[in-house]
Amino acid sequence: MAYYPEPVARLIDALQRLPGIGPKTAQRLTFFLLKRPADEVRELSESLVAVKDKIVYCRTCFNVTDEDPCRLCADPARDARLLCVVEEPNDLLAMERTGEYRGRYHVLLGALSPLDGVGPDDLKVRELLARIEAGAVEEVILATNPNVEGEATALYLAKLLRPLVLRVTRIARGLPVGGDLEYADQVTLSKALEGRREIS
Amino acid sequence: MGLGRSAAVVIGSFPLGESDRVVTFYTRDFGKVRGVAKASRRIRSRFSGALELFTLGELVFFDGGRSELVQVDHFDIVRPFAHLREDLERLGRAAWIVECVSRLTAEHDRHAALYGLLVRSLRALEGPTPPARVAVCFGVRGLDALGHRPRLDACTVCGRAYPFRHAALGAGGLVCEACARSETGLVLISGAAVTAFERLRLARWEEALAAPLGRSEVELGALLDLQMSRLIGQPTRSAKFLRELKRLEPTAGGRP
Repeated sequence: MAYYPEPVARLIDALQRLPGIGPKTAQRLTFFLLKRPADEVRELSESLVAVKDKIVYCRTCFNVTDEDPCRLCADPARDARLLCVVEEPNDLLAMERTGEYRGRYHVLLGALSPLDGVGPDDLKVRELLARIEAGAVEEVILATNPNVEGEATALYLAKLLRPLVLRVTRIARGLPVGGDLEYADQVTLSKALEGRREIS
Repeated sequence: MGLGRSAAVVIGSFPLGESDRVVTFYTRDFGKVRGVAKASRRIRSRFSGALELFTLGELVFFDGGRSELVQVDHFDIVRPFAHLREDLERLGRAAWIVECVSRLTAEHDRHAALYGLLVRSLRALEGPTPPARVAVCFGVRGLDALGHRPRLDACTVCGRAYPFRHAALGAGGLVCEACARSETGLVLISGAAVTAFERLRLARWEEALAAPLGRSEVELGALLDLQMSRLIGQPTRSAKFLRELKRLEPTAGGRP
């Protein structure tokens, strides 16, 4: 990138390190930013720095937060008997968007993945056990993703948690709302059949 | 170039962009193929759950010839090997098998025997055979199929015929005690393990899965992982996962 001025080359290089961004997109974004007003670009750079300076992981649930404990952990209205275990902070946000869940959370910051060499030591499993042993949790809801890694994580945690907690449940798997039965694969359909419920 | 169609097993994947995925297949007719499955991470994707690890299916792809990645058009499940996901030991062993295939093969290098061995091994892992035995049988035959069968009839340094009292295993095969003094990276191998290795290599698949091996099975498992790691150039990730799982196995009290 010798033909670019040094600051431009540096920005292209930095943007390329972001997931899903290749050299062409990095170049396009750099030239887009060059055309924007200085205030707008400064705001962006300040937001980037603020994220690193002010955001931490909540020491209780490991969600990203600007205050520790996070708002969800500090909220007395949340049901402390229910604990929902998710892989990443984004999954927590997805659960919150439903507006249906009023319990607390625990973010593992990943999932077991044999092909990537991610084992239980790399996740916040010990912290989850410590929370359960210390608190009044009656039900743990395993809301890891319905893929190989998420299933393996749920399997491992279920084995670990069963002696410690009254109920260990797994979120249901099956057909998406608005989906078409004809296009469902055999694994999804058999899981949907397994999890069928009586209509009241 | 153009449209390709083959039976294939999903041996890996990683996210790409907003909702796509790069999936690695080991195909019967084209060897290892990597392709982009558009929008496959969306809940209502047309691929649904078909692109999960270990799934055997019929792959249809388009190879434009301009990129290393093909476009995944269809992947219809033939056998999902879903039971492998319901047991962590089986999952870990299956992951070791696909990791070896994925990291020791080149793209578009057809190898029907290795494909057959991969499918047979995944099928056996769903059956009653202990998962560790399936992995050992795969390892012995996999080295053979990949052209890395270790020499077990003589010392690979001086050519002295086996048996010798303290045999060691190096990258190419056995090393006698005299030559072992000047070699590095060797591990001791028992006479029983040498015999078991040859036995598993020559036996029919079903016989190999059922043959009594005693303590040699554990020794062979470790040696095969070492050989695979040597060929890959770094330790296998799935073996690390299995070790960690064993170490942190829940006890009766629940705490690992």
